[in-house]
Amino acid sequence: MAWAKQGHDAAFRELVRRYERPVFSLLYRMVRDRALAEDLAQETFIKVLNGIKSYRPEFKFSSWIFKIANNAAIDHLRRKNLDTLSLDGAPNAETPDQMRATSLQLGDRAESPLDEVENRELGTAIERAISRLRPEYRSCILLRHVEGYSYEEIADTLELPLGTVKTYIHRARNELRGYLNDRRD
Amino acid sequence: MTDLSMHLTTDEIELWAQGLLPAARALHLADCSLCRVEADRERKVILELVSLPHFAPTAGFADRVMAQVKIPTASGDWTA
Repeated sequence: MAWAKQGHDAAFRELVRRYERPVFSLLYRMVRDRALAEDLAQETFIKVLNGIKSYRPEFKFSSWIFKIANNAAIDHLRRKNLDTLSLDGAPNAETPDQMRATSLQLGDRAESPLDEVENRELGTAIERAISRLRPEYRSCILLRHVEGYSYEEIADTLELPLGTVKTYIHRARNELRGYLNDRRD
Repeated sequence: MTDLSMHLTTDEIELWAQGLLPAARALHLADCSLCRVEADRERKVILELVSLPHFAPTAGFADRVMAQVKIPTASGDWTA
């Protein structure tokens, strides 16, 4: 970090190399679109590296970068209102008809190679269940269980009260259990 | 002293699923089918979550980022 703050190209590259997968994975699971996730990841790293002099070492670097990445995803979802879309239909759809009416119709167009990759990567039951969570639940549960963050670290990263983080994670896991059980029934 | 008959809290169930629940509280699971069912369900979800892979961006991602980063020079100037 110290080398990066002094502006060493190799140190910048090392930071990108170290964090590109976790940051890209978080964004990809948030927006469920590879190309878009990559654009947002690029935007995140550019913002972080161009603003490296404002980084305060009392915070974890990874928390800082995840905070910027998560903000980018949430901003995007708000702008595009994509949080109501998922392969399984809107989260508030309660009947099979409602789910069909609000679901993405993958069969309506020819599937591109990128679509195939996305379907393979994000098509499992657990990935589809995650996509049905509210975005704020999604970021909390991903930071907790994919990145291994503590509740306190998530609260710092997302600037949320600790109690809110706990509530989001518990609700998210309950919802995931429900979605996964529906699939098995 | 915690009452052995007290049901596990959500936090305790998470600790149990990670193998971190103190043995004294874990004993409760042996006698409480309600908590055992709840804990098993929770563990399954947590295991699925922690097994999720990281994905990689496409090749050349770092180069594309670095092409747009301003690198400060020793004099404090910035170069693209």
